[in-house]
Amino acid sequence: MSTIPRVSSATPGEPAHFGSVLAHQPAIAEHFFALYGRFWGSDVLSARIKEVARMRNARVTQCGFCRNVRFDKAVAEGLREEAVGDIADGYETSARLSDAEKAALKFTDALIHDPDLLTGDARAALQRHLTPAQIAELGLGVTLFLALAKALITLGLEPEAMDRTVLPTPAVLEAAE
Amino acid sequence: MSGGPLVAALAGNPVLAEHYAAFRASADAALDPAFVALTRQAVAAVHRMGPAPDESGLDEGTRTCLAYAHRMPFEHTAITDAEAAAVSAHLGEAGYVAFSVLTALADAECRAELVGLPELAGV
Repeated sequence: MSTIPRVSSATPGEPAHFGSVLAHQPAIAEHFFALYGRFWGSDVLSARIKEVARMRNARVTQCGFCRNVRFDKAVAEGLREEAVGDIADGYETSARLSDAEKAALKFTDALIHDPDLLTGDARAALQRHLTPAQIAELGLGVTLFLALAKALITLGLEPEAMDRTVLPTPAVLEAAE
Repeated sequence: MSGGPLVAALAGNPVLAEHYAAFRASADAALDPAFVALTRQAVAAVHRMGPAPDESGLDEGTRTCLAYAHRMPFEHTAITDAEAAAVSAHLGEAGYVAFSVLTALADAECRAELVGLPELAGV
């Protein structure tokens, strides 16, 4: 896995990072950020559950950038590092993660790893803890997390080292409307 | 409005569905439509969701890109600098960025379909 950017920055004066590289394709960038902001702004599914799924994806796809970023909305909803630490193999036995979060994690594993993980009890648990609208939003999130992580990795945009960083949760910029 | 399993699953949330479709369409629009179709087919074939594209008659650059797309579902961390450089040489930097988004999204959409997302979302 390369930590040397495979594409140059398209933003003068900025190093190659996701935003400056995506600037090679302004329309894609505009639509992605508009979508991602609305996804995080929607409260159909809590930011905490979205972040739990994002953290799981970061671990499985080996996205170091994703793994070290925390979004402040989820932190404000009570997602602490102790719980994030439990989003590893064996999360099913965590006392810090809720049953709804564990069901969301199983769905995440099924989507990004093996669809056969979401059969029988796991599928029933997901549908017991989340409404169809929440599952749709979770599915959107995991799809975007997975695609974003793979794009970051294959474009060589993984950091060599990175401290844990709390960032403002993506939002729609009203001025861009 | 088209957009694969995600747009279907988001039928109850027209705002997110519309924005997802627009994002997906923007990635598609950045590349040649026939090439986009071949790429999606190559990714779907890895997931055993359809036949692999017929590569006879394709130029070497296109075949190089399809080989790269073939690795995205299960070998994304093993793609080498040389493979990336070959795709970038064929498509240009901007094209390579669009292609990266396209292949990563195509893979994720196949997975959403395989997990039965639209059905889980009540569609």
